[in-house]
Amino acid sequence: MKKVITGNQAVAYGVILSRVDVISAYPITPQTTIVEELSELIANGRLNTRFLKVESEHSAMAALIGASTGGVRCFTATSSHGLAYMHEMLHWASGARLPIVLVNVNRAIAPPWNIWSDQSDSLAQRDTGWIQLYCENNQEVLDTVLQAYRIAESAKLPVMVVLDAYVLSHTSEPVEIPTMEEVDPFLLPYCPEYAIDIQEPVTFSMIATPEFFLEFRYKLQRAMEQVPEIAREVNDEFKSRFGRGYGAIERYGKAEAEILLMTSGTVTSTSRIVVQKLNEKGISVAGIKIKRFRPFPAEEIYEEIKGAKKLAVIDRNLSAGVGGIFAHELRAALYPRENRPQVFGFISGLGGRDITPELIEEAIQYTVGHPQPEEEILWLGLKK
Amino acid sequence: MSKLLSFKGASEMPMISVSFGNMEWNKTGAWRAQRPFYEDKTPPCSAACPAGNDIVAFIQKITEGDFEGAWSLIKEENPFPGICGRVCFHPCESKCNRGAYDEPVAIHALERFVSDYASTLNKKTERVPGARKGKVAVIGSGPAGMGCAYHLAKLHYEVTVFESSPSAGGMLRMGIPSYRLPKGVLDREISTIQALGVEIRTGIPFGEKLGLDDLKDYQATFIATGAHRGRGLNIPGEKGKSVFNGLDLLRKINVGHRGKLGDKVSIIGGGNTAIDVARSVIRLGKKATILYRRSKEEMPAFEDEILEAIEEGVKIRYLVNPVRIQQKDDMKRLECLRMELGEKDESGRRKPVAVPDSNFFIEADTVIVAAGEEIEVSFLPKGIEKKDGIVLTQRDGNAGVKGIFAGGDLTSTQRTVAHAIGSGKKAALAIDCYLQGKNAEEAIGQILIGEGPSLSIFRHLHPEERPMNPHVVAFEELNTDYFETSKRHREQRGLARKRIKGFEEVTSTLTEKIALKEAERCFSCGTCNGCENCYVFCPDASIVKVEEILSRQVDYDFCKGCGICFSECPRGAISLKEEAR
Repeated sequence: MKKVITGNQAVAYGVILSRVDVISAYPITPQTTIVEELSELIANGRLNTRFLKVESEHSAMAALIGASTGGVRCFTATSSHGLAYMHEMLHWASGARLPIVLVNVNRAIAPPWNIWSDQSDSLAQRDTGWIQLYCENNQEVLDTVLQAYRIAESAKLPVMVVLDAYVLSHTSEPVEIPTMEEVDPFLLPYCPEYAIDIQEPVTFSMIATPEFFLEFRYKLQRAMEQVPEIAREVNDEFKSRFGRGYGAIERYGKAEAEILLMTSGTVTSTSRIVVQKLNEKGISVAGIKIKRFRPFPAEEIYEEIKGAKKLAVIDRNLSAGVGGIFAHELRAALYPRENRPQVFGFISGLGGRDITPELIEEAIQYTVGHPQPEEEILWLGLKK
Repeated sequence: MSKLLSFKGASEMPMISVSFGNMEWNKTGAWRAQRPFYEDKTPPCSAACPAGNDIVAFIQKITEGDFEGAWSLIKEENPFPGICGRVCFHPCESKCNRGAYDEPVAIHALERFVSDYASTLNKKTERVPGARKGKVAVIGSGPAGMGCAYHLAKLHYEVTVFESSPSAGGMLRMGIPSYRLPKGVLDREISTIQALGVEIRTGIPFGEKLGLDDLKDYQATFIATGAHRGRGLNIPGEKGKSVFNGLDLLRKINVGHRGKLGDKVSIIGGGNTAIDVARSVIRLGKKATILYRRSKEEMPAFEDEILEAIEEGVKIRYLVNPVRIQQKDDMKRLECLRMELGEKDESGRRKPVAVPDSNFFIEADTVIVAAGEEIEVSFLPKGIEKKDGIVLTQRDGNAGVKGIFAGGDLTSTQRTVAHAIGSGKKAALAIDCYLQGKNAEEAIGQILIGEGPSLSIFRHLHPEERPMNPHVVAFEELNTDYFETSKRHREQRGLARKRIKGFEEVTSTLTEKIALKEAERCFSCGTCNGCENCYVFCPDASIVKVEEILSRQVDYDFCKGCGICFSECPRGAISLKEEAR
């Protein structure tokens, strides 16, 4: 059934269809309507899910860590400061290998105070051991939530599904909503390897001395390394069942282009139009959408960029002192490889400023016109 | 116990750090610095109940739907739940912690419900089996005398009650109009005391037909003859015709006479007797006006009674003080002074002061004086001391003569049914101690409810059961996050215009459904009611359930003393103490 729904409603549908057992969340703009929707359904007895009210995001994640250790499927949603507040518990969830799914609605982090979209919040959590999946539209949001549980429970790693504030969270689009009957065989009930048994009490996450700690982290990294394969299989099955799919990355536009424009989130939608327009004008440019940020799809990207001379990366985030985080990761991923293209790192759209077709075209034209970037960070649309 | 783990490498290790086996051997309770424990504390209602009712316990039984159990619990302390549920001024409710939250629990209504429910089952207290320990005489069959007789019978004594009137009940029968306390309720509760083996001999006035010499067969005597003499006003004309005493009138009405009343009746006084008289007068088809020398705020009558009286058409004139009663033609003419309120007196109320030259007249067909009661002392045995209008007794109720005890209105200025019942109970205990050669003071000290003076005879009989810390739980000690506000349920009251047509009971007993709802409102202050908040919150799963029922035990092997159970207990039934090191 097709419905016109917001990105946050798409999240809620995804959660309902995933038969989540426990939800715990704390309200924060622009995430709030997700749990508002879900908690109302629970309160009205229409959704058989336990909702744990908490006083903070830190507690929300802590509660889910407890619930997930109990062996049930868990969900939370947050944004910005809420996600930052969860930071400690994010490490705990991944270290304890709990397949929790979190939806983060990208929002800038203050000060100055700002409630609009940028990726600083989720990217600041890149080292917490969470899988990160960025969405381009509301359909992808719903589908990604469903896939996220499959990936999380196979990899035994938590997954963060990310969507842009307002551009998706509060904007309605037609979304195909699968039925429960369609989703159930795709997403089977969660069968934990370890779960609390009150009759047989064991200790979880107890101390690991220096003798063993390194090995646990090695295992965490190995688990991350399994994710590309797991995600590919999950997506293939999803595609066969629902007729839609999303790779870790997606290339569009002219084949064998000299210049590649790399984006994530909703900027990709705008870029598709710009790239098409420039292709029609004869400019050799193609686009690459990066959906999965963690684990970083270095292999997939390298395969897609062969032959390209220059990469223009638009980052809607800033790691002060370094620059754009996608560009930074990309440089690191390409460094050991042969025939590396030049990376042009653009920063734009922070704090929710629109990344317009004009700005995207400006980035591409700059890349066309320069053999290499004049500066490490290229500010797009900066009012000097 | 623990064994040292060794892995060659990551391939042998589990995915996460998790113990391979059951960890119950690791008694993490050893980390504890403070220890929670279940400890019932005294609820403010019980501490305030002069009769010593275990209120929280009986309300809990109601919530369980065990009305018979509730009845048994009340009857442990008080033989008169049907009476107290109707006429007690319920100091329990004034102290109810729920009052600080929304409205106090209607304890009296629940007590009445339980009694009336039990009466439909024809519940009777059985005579306690076993040999009798001695014979005791009780003079007066009011709430003090009958209360004392009841508890003495349960303590294995042969008790004879001597009553001057033709039927038992004392002030309950003679002083309280039946629209407040139907005679059937009184009869039924007296009969349960008789069922215990208590003999009541009526028509035997003490001092006239009966003296101490006639009581030689009895090892002890309890005198509870009450305060039946109406106090005078000491004003000219109060002995004249058509001027009556309030208590006398009530007594007449209670035995079926109507009294010689004119159409317009003035009642002087502001206590419950004045209200009872006025409402009775209205029911006899006359007009009633109460003259009270202070203002509404100082009126000692109970507020509900005043409101009901006004509903029924009783007029109250405040700040009016009659100074002379004259006859003018067929009418009585009351010369009155207007009063104003001055400084506070020793009772804490503002003292009425006459406004100079404010004399005016009120006309009435009949004047009734209801200005308080006094005790009759003429028949009291020698050696009994009196002071300020009461008989002096020791703390245990001993009246200064060996084997003679006194109680009820005779020995107290707090002349309520509940106080009388409490004083009878104390005397029963003291008489038992006296006859068994035990120290009554000590025995009383052990069974005080809270700081006292209320006593629990249950604790005297079963010192090990239902232990309770005397600390009275304050509102601030409750965790009210777990309570929702709710309206107090009231007893239905008949329409005033119908009520005044006779002496039918004004209010009706709560229905079972409403009683259950009202009982649910009880915070159960200081008393665990198995709400399981502790069980739900304990992060160490150290609150023990046995067969799905909260055992009220802490598993100290694993309790780390975080105190969450203590702070999340809504009712202060868990205590916390520092762990001895």
